[in-house]
Amino acid sequence: MSATLLSVEALRVHIPVTRGVVLRRTTGVVRAVDGVTLDVREGETLGLVGESGSGKTTLGRAIVGLVPPTAGSIRLRGVEVSTLSGRGARRARSELQMVFQDPFASLDPRWPIARSVEEPLRLHRAGDRRERRERVLELLELVGLSRRMADRYPHELSGGQRQRVGLARALALRPALVVADEAVSALDVSIQAQILNLLQRLQEELGLAYLFIAHDLAVVHQISDRIAVMYLGQIVELSPGVDLYREPMHPYTVSLLSANPVPDPSVEAARERIVLPGDPPSAAAPPPGCRFHTRCWLRERLGDPEICRTLEPLLREVGPGRSVACHFADEAAASPVTRRAVDLAGGRA
Amino acid sequence: MLSVRDLVVRFSTGRGVVHAVNGVSLDVEPGGTLGLVGESGSGKSVTSLAIMRLLPRGGRVVSGQVWFGGRDLLRLSAAEMRSVRGREIAMILQDPQSSLNPVLPVGEQIEEAIRAHERVSRPAARARAVELLGAVGIARPEEQLGRFPHQLSGGMRQRVMIAIALALRPTLLIADEPTTALDVTVQAQVLELLRDLTDEVGAAVVLISHDLGIMARMAGRIAVMYAGRVVESAPTEELFARPRHPYTVGLLRSIPRIGGARRALVPIEGSPPDLERLPEGCPFAPRCAWRIEACWTQNPSLATDDGPAHLVACHDPAEPEEVGPGRPIRPGFAPAPPPGIRAGVA
Repeated sequence: MSATLLSVEALRVHIPVTRGVVLRRTTGVVRAVDGVTLDVREGETLGLVGESGSGKTTLGRAIVGLVPPTAGSIRLRGVEVSTLSGRGARRARSELQMVFQDPFASLDPRWPIARSVEEPLRLHRAGDRRERRERVLELLELVGLSRRMADRYPHELSGGQRQRVGLARALALRPALVVADEAVSALDVSIQAQILNLLQRLQEELGLAYLFIAHDLAVVHQISDRIAVMYLGQIVELSPGVDLYREPMHPYTVSLLSANPVPDPSVEAARERIVLPGDPPSAAAPPPGCRFHTRCWLRERLGDPEICRTLEPLLREVGPGRSVACHFADEAAASPVTRRAVDLAGGRA
Repeated sequence: MLSVRDLVVRFSTGRGVVHAVNGVSLDVEPGGTLGLVGESGSGKSVTSLAIMRLLPRGGRVVSGQVWFGGRDLLRLSAAEMRSVRGREIAMILQDPQSSLNPVLPVGEQIEEAIRAHERVSRPAARARAVELLGAVGIARPEEQLGRFPHQLSGGMRQRVMIAIALALRPTLLIADEPTTALDVTVQAQVLELLRDLTDEVGAAVVLISHDLGIMARMAGRIAVMYAGRVVESAPTEELFARPRHPYTVGLLRSIPRIGGARRALVPIEGSPPDLERLPEGCPFAPRCAWRIEACWTQNPSLATDDGPAHLVACHDPAEPEEVGPGRPIRPGFAPAPPPGIRAGVA
């Protein structure tokens, strides 16, 4: 097993909700990330799935230093990065880079793409002008763009090409970890496959680690070694990808698998889906006890145990590399509902 | 019940002409669900807007017919078309926010939709609105009538849209990426609702989506679009089991799947053609790994293949044994190079 590259411990990111323009008052707090502990190893891909409001994006942004944590620690090779300032912080940040869903937003429309890719090099005063230009061309080739693209503008590029530019920019400073936030979600499937393959090739060539954030379970499965599932600011399950899809142990993971449309009509016709009631609750007012209990399909089947409503389950280790935060994880894993959801999702093969 | 014939739609922009839809023919059976699948720019949304006669500025139907209930919708007067919309054909879009009035409570919007087409009293319309909100699974519907769209979640807004769309029991519902903006658990609710209610009303559905998983779940028949044309059309089971068009095969190889051994994705190389400068041959030829010489010069028309229900527009369709996941593409085969330098091919 490779060494730990990044370790996040008991991380909280609480975002105040304010009202009023003149007299700004804090009226509440969104617990976007509320006690997350996870490791990313050298050269691995950790997938992070969850629905909107789960806090997955905020977690990614906190890791690269775009939002300040409220509490907890983020360490890169043992060095705390969330409280660093000055030069140390700049160095650590250069090792942690982010790729966004909409590369258009991260590219300046008035700049030729070479300048956008060069920007981090300039900010870090890497080399002289000629060396930087050479490095930019190298980076463009690395992500599968021709050198001739260097002087084009973002609007002249297709979505897939822009995402390649975003990637080139993220790789400019030779990061150890790239946080990819919904990096392929906006792309058409044929282009999405190109970028996923590119990400995998770059990982092999450069020894990169990824924190791959996405809502699409199949995409996450395709690229991840391990997968963490988030719900309302917390990790509810973390497992090697194969185990997560074959033997999910959290009722929320089971419902995600069950809801996920499978491109196979015979599977879809035979499936019995768990349809969760309602929308996820607000992270400003998470339910007491287990945060998932208001929508949990298992709780009802177990005769509505009180503990789900009163005691917050902790993420606990249940097997090698497998953790789950559910009081009734064994019951969830053994439930026929889970078996059916998984078998038909194709996890059995 | 709906027959689109040779529909051609173009957009004039400041710079040139966009060939958005280039001869689309489609048929929807009464009560059936036709899935329109394709990537951005494939013309699937423009086709549906042309059917509804709601093309945005700059777009016009150049030729073709849209037969519905014995009439060509393209020849109706504006007033006649208004009465078809909503009452006979309803539409749901990806972003309900854009189709709901932000300053009007949702209850009033539903009542308005009902009263625009039916002579009913206000209280009767209100009672129908409550009933409809209940039918789309909104809890305590009376309390929700007075709420504004921004006070509802995305899933709730889409339910309201479905309530409005089905208020007049249309015979055809066009749903354009209705769940793309929703989370997967909410998407499952909305798809289920859509299916149950359209079954109940007996409405046929044209479902537009880029998601093949949703197609597998919802569609009885699928038409695959590329560069403004239908390149393959078949019953859903058949399309997944025996895809014939290299583009369909490419799509199926490009999508990651859950479960089983993870296998390498085989992307379709290149990117879709520029709709302002379409190649003269098959629009997919520049990206096709199986192209032959004819593909560069002749655009194949949609014709039957493997029985009358399976249509494909390809000079040399893939054989069933070639399309399995992870299989190499026609071993030893070299795609035909473009014949010299020709205008219009990037």
